[in-house]
Amino acid sequence: MNQDNATLLHVDQLVISDARGRLAGPFSFSLAAGRALTLIGESGAGKSLLAHAILGTLPRGLRAEGRLTLDARTFDAMDGPARRASWGRRLALLPQEAALALDPTMRVGRQLAETHALVGGKRWTDAWRQTADDLDALGMPHAAGQWPATLSGGMAQRVALAITRAGHAPVLIVDEPTKGLDPHWRDAIVAQLQAALREGCAVLAITHDVEVARALGGDIAVLRQGVVVEHGPAEALLREPGHPFTRALLAAAPHAWPARPAAVAGDDVLQASGLSKRLGHRQLFQHIDLALRAGERLAVTGPSGSGKSTLGNVLLGLMPADAGSVRRPARVTPVRFQKLYQDPASAFAPARAIGHALHDLCARHRVTPARIAPLMQRMGLHPDLLARLPHAVSGGELQRFALVRALLLDPVFLFADEPTSRLDPLTQREVIDILVEATAERACALMLVTHDRALAHNVAARHIEFGGGPH
Amino acid sequence: MLNRQRLGIVLLLALLGLAVAGPWLASRAPFEQDLYGILRQPAWHEPLGTDHLGRSMLARLASATRLSLGLALASALTAALPGTLLGLVAAWRGGWTLRLANTVADAVLALPGLLLVLLLGAFAPGAFWPLYVGLSLVLWVEYFRVTRATASVVLASPHVEAARLLGFGPVYILRHHVLPALLPLLATLLCFGASAAVLALAAMGFVGLGAQPPQAELGLMMTELLPYAAEAPWLLAGPIVVLTLATLALVLLSGRTHEEGALA
Repeated sequence: MNQDNATLLHVDQLVISDARGRLAGPFSFSLAAGRALTLIGESGAGKSLLAHAILGTLPRGLRAEGRLTLDARTFDAMDGPARRASWGRRLALLPQEAALALDPTMRVGRQLAETHALVGGKRWTDAWRQTADDLDALGMPHAAGQWPATLSGGMAQRVALAITRAGHAPVLIVDEPTKGLDPHWRDAIVAQLQAALREGCAVLAITHDVEVARALGGDIAVLRQGVVVEHGPAEALLREPGHPFTRALLAAAPHAWPARPAAVAGDDVLQASGLSKRLGHRQLFQHIDLALRAGERLAVTGPSGSGKSTLGNVLLGLMPADAGSVRRPARVTPVRFQKLYQDPASAFAPARAIGHALHDLCARHRVTPARIAPLMQRMGLHPDLLARLPHAVSGGELQRFALVRALLLDPVFLFADEPTSRLDPLTQREVIDILVEATAERACALMLVTHDRALAHNVAARHIEFGGGPH
Repeated sequence: MLNRQRLGIVLLLALLGLAVAGPWLASRAPFEQDLYGILRQPAWHEPLGTDHLGRSMLARLASATRLSLGLALASALTAALPGTLLGLVAAWRGGWTLRLANTVADAVLALPGLLLVLLLGAFAPGAFWPLYVGLSLVLWVEYFRVTRATASVVLASPHVEAARLLGFGPVYILRHHVLPALLPLLATLLCFGASAAVLALAAMGFVGLGAQPPQAELGLMMTELLPYAAEAPWLLAGPIVVLTLATLALVLLSGRTHEEGALA
């Protein structure tokens, strides 16, 4: 390709700040045609802010300084409206939680065709033909007539990425494109991005998944607290990380974790026999017999949509089983069977401060509130966080609060439904360590649902493998 | 709070002030005629002039404002309470309760609102209770639908599931999970409902099916003063301005504060 190494976007001394001071930056980098730049780092390090600053769509109250050069035009970073004409055509963003960016009231095919026609400038007949080709290439030829709500997370993400690319923008910014996806769909998204690179796009990828960074190649910049601590070519940087933070980040992948002591099992806390469940036309699982003992750890793995979470919900009594029964010891009250959610932010009442919610729980079950402080200290949570609303703390902190909440009730069984799939590797490790230690100390049975086999092997000796997802 | 909401509150307070202080501000009662002094221009002792029967326009406007705002507020509230409660019950119980409530709401919605008010008005011509009951009967459906839709989504969310697992009962879930999502919507609806009621009342008065003379009511006053629009346009302007300000204030008030999207 003759435009190899042509600089498509140049960012010069970009700093993002709010009224209290600098949040992220300074960033200076160039994006070249056919080459990826991947930003990795902890969540909350200002990675998403950078994407919005480049586009010019920062939320009100935040300011951007610095200069951007796109298509030989130089923009002031704060002057977002000037870049508006480039959106979709020269500069495209795949936002975080892209599935939410799809219009729920419009069929998938129409959304893609519309972008081809209105942004890509094709005639409608060509746009529809291109849409059919795109969906065929994505391996979902029947998706055109579907509503976004009927797509799985991975499928929605692939469609959203196809729509992002439909305007043929040469500069592509993707924000956490694989968050919460299982390996199958993660690889599919990565393949789509690699195809974009081969076609001469410049890709700025924001992720906390080191594997994605490795697969995209190009350059990597490591971010910590809004500052680039290390950058360089992907291969060299991943082979020989220079900065201690980068080393910690790479070591935080579950397959690099040290083995844990085996669980000590006590009495039975849960017995299930002959469990079966169908969802629509699909048999999720059949004739599952399962006994969990106090302190035992069980991992359930499998692709998304294969029924892992449903099994946990059936065991907790949140969903009825089609056949079979779940038995719990009669002396144990139902509130001692608890659950951790994949997205902790969705598991807290959005308008109740965390501290109030915890005190409500203590009041409800006559638990002394004095137990909250030591638990929080044990989890490394600062007391100031109690005054905040759930959306105002990070995902890792909120997941630890969810654990505090469950532990206040002295659980005998904890169902952790992909509790770390939306967290960065360092936070994931912290949360999993605390989760395993806390349940082991209290002889609480832990059932961990995950799509990460390495994580499952590290946490539990017993496994259930689900196959046959809806792919 | 937004500037437009502040403006709405100021306007509404000014109108309420007029409604409440009217009897003290005006020198005479709203129905007291003075046939020697008709269609007078605004003057010091009669700040808004007199109408075709020599009645004090200030007194009449104040009385009409009190009637409109009072009835609007009362019917909006009486519609909100049962509508919201029914919506909550339907969302919570689901199944047959939900289907039955939906059917009733759809049936009410199928009738044009003003027709229902007219129908009730035929039972007791000139009385106010049919207007009030009719308006409430029309308005509750909106509260029901919004409440049911919002509450269904919230009740199906993971945080409510988590709260149930943690042993919290319906009252707690309602108070801390459902109501925070619902109240801003209800406040908006209440403003729109009240402005719809103000307009409906004036429309009924204008066509002669609502308030009856000598009652001072905005729509009725417009009809009465229309023949004198050429000679005394300031008189006709009175009720029109009050009606416009009242609906404007309520619509301004209904604007929801825009929450800024949080970025990770």
